Amino acid sequence: MALVELRGVSKSFSKGDETITPLDNVDMDIESGEFVSLMGPSGTGKSTLLNLVSGIDRVDSGTITVAGTEVTKLSRSRLADWRAANLGYIFQTHNLIPVLTAYENVELPTLLLKLSSAQRRQRVELALEAVGLSDRADHYPRQLSGGQEQRVGIARAIVAHPKVVVADEPTGSLDTETSEQVQVLLQRLNKELDITMLIVTHDTDVAQIASRQLVLDRGKFLEKGDEGSMSSQPQPTPHLFQQ
Amino acid sequence: MIAYVLKTLWRHRTRTLLTVTGAAVAMFVFCFVGSVQEGLHRLTNGADADRSLIVFQENRFCPTSSRLPEDYSRKIKEVPGVRDVMPIQVWTNNCRASLDIVVFNGADPEQIQRSRPIKLTSGDWSQFKSQRDAAIVGRNVAQRRGLKTGDQFSIGEISVKVAGVFESTVPSEENLIYTSLAFLQYTRGLDAAGLVTQHEVMLTDDAEPDRVAAEIDEMLRSGSVATKTRRKGAFQASTLSDLVDLIGFAHWLGYACVGLVLSLVATTTVMSVQDRIKEYAVLQTIGVRPARAMRLVLAESTLLCLVGGVAGTMLALAALGIGGFAIGAEGATIAFRPSLGLAVSGTIVSLIVGVAAGLAPAIQAATVPIVNSLRQA
Ligand SMILES: Nc1ncnc2c1ncn2[C@@H]1O[C@H](COP(=O)(O)OP(=O)(O)OP(=O)(O)O)[C@@H](O)[C@H]1O
Ligand SMILES: [Mg+2]
Repeated sequence: MALVELRGVSKSFSKGDETITPLDNVDMDIESGEFVSLMGPSGTGKSTLLNLVSGIDRVDSGTITVAGTEVTKLSRSRLADWRAANLGYIFQTHNLIPVLTAYENVELPTLLLKLSSAQRRQRVELALEAVGLSDRADHYPRQLSGGQEQRVGIARAIVAHPKVVVADEPTGSLDTETSEQVQVLLQRLNKELDITMLIVTHDTDVAQIASRQLVLDRGKFLEKGDEGSMSSQPQPTPHLFQQ
Repeated sequence: MIAYVLKTLWRHRTRTLLTVTGAAVAMFVFCFVGSVQEGLHRLTNGADADRSLIVFQENRFCPTSSRLPEDYSRKIKEVPGVRDVMPIQVWTNNCRASLDIVVFNGADPEQIQRSRPIKLTSGDWSQFKSQRDAAIVGRNVAQRRGLKTGDQFSIGEISVKVAGVFESTVPSEENLIYTSLAFLQYTRGLDAAGLVTQHEVMLTDDAEPDRVAAEIDEMLRSGSVATKTRRKGAFQASTLSDLVDLIGFAHWLGYACVGLVLSLVATTTVMSVQDRIKEYAVLQTIGVRPARAMRLVLAESTLLCLVGGVAGTMLALAALGIGGFAIGAEGATIAFRPSLGLAVSGTIVSLIVGVAAGLAPAIQAATVPIVNSLRQA
């Protein structure tokens, strides 16, 4: 059984009289340890898909199972608990809490788990170390650069040792250089910490680092390279960023 | 997570400070009003108010106008149910409602010591008993007028030497100055030799106050001056009847203060939550339960309200303790004293109002539409 399993997932939104159905009877599997990138034209439902997997949005029909838990069945409170233990979410804009330091921001998810204060400190320090910001622990978000803020956001997403980390355009608001740093970081987290990743991106370079590249178009998945429709996209240049 | 709440409040410290100050001011007024209510309640209830009677001249109100023969006390003592009678001459600087009323009660010092629930905090009884112009001063008057043992105190025609300061288990008594009966009777202008203002009647344990009162009036009907006898509490309430209405009205002021704190803290908390609605969406995405998000908001509003409310309550109690305030008319006074009850009710009201004020914004934070809020830039 795959770590993440979508079966017959549909989701539509109504805007006035109009109904948009970005996801129509979608199936998807992500194996444990995989690094999956998801591309596709704007408005096709990539973010919607991430939100459904994270349980912050509800499917209209179908089931989503993550690590054996059918998340589509859980109540809002149970979903929160489940996310605290199993899911890391990396936002496009870091969404750090401005009144908390980098350390406190990263510490937040650990406060939701049953950990001793020593374990907690160890995890936070490791997570900050992993994103290379140990020396910025006491800085407030406004004292950090955009790339550093995003890295704190990443540390916050991995600190609880989640089974899956989802990221919605994690490099979308970063310059090329900072974006590269973040890509390297995500790749390392996947390889070294064996975190399963699902990232949505518009950046082909970012998609490159994934072990599997998916494209969502008109409510259906296309595996990269499978379809003629992909030929309009620039061909991937392999191993652009290596450790 | 309490650090998050504190830091959020600190981040908007101006807003926090204004809200806390507002809550403090309102709770200050609330406690003040409360102490007036308590004072009135004590005056008209309790053993002293219910188990003793005041014999006054019929159809007279101001103490200067009631003139009863002193030797009525002998007759009253014969009525069954009467344990003791204390003839009292009353003198006041002001017969109308006033915040700085000074009331002298002249009575036999031995009898005062024996029958009143008072204790000297300074000075001694022997001086009071031996010197003609000696007086013992209630704690409240002493505080208000800055009097201490050994001082000479003059007001109007009267000049006394302070032989001691006393406290009483009956707070309104702490607004009195006791002198000897003869001293007050012979005060110039009073012309009261052989006359007193009122007789205070102490009852035996099994006596029925209203029946004894009726018997006293009945018996004295044949005397030179007709009397009206009432329970002390009822007597004081009727003496202060104008004030009683006013004070009854003042409790609305207390409710208004609670409403004020409620709307103030609620407004601040609603603003705070609406400013940070995306933050609550982020917190829930991280895995904070809706109930916990709710508690965070409630903690914020309760903290604001409690800090302000307790500060206001403490200030009010301190002011009441130091000021020795009293309001009085026609020789009866209501003391405003700080009390544990006020401290407790001030704190509990702050707590409840804090929670109530946070309820709506807490629900808002708990039920935030996560995806839509995150989509907002
Ligand atoms: N809450 C909503 N209400 C109405 N329509 C919505 C809502 N959320 C998403 N949509 C619509 O659903 C479609 C898919 O949105 P989604 O954000 O998932 O697209 P996307 O693939 O992430 O696009 P982009 O690449 O631009 O981020 C869009 O047409 C969008 O307008
Ligand atoms: Mg999107």
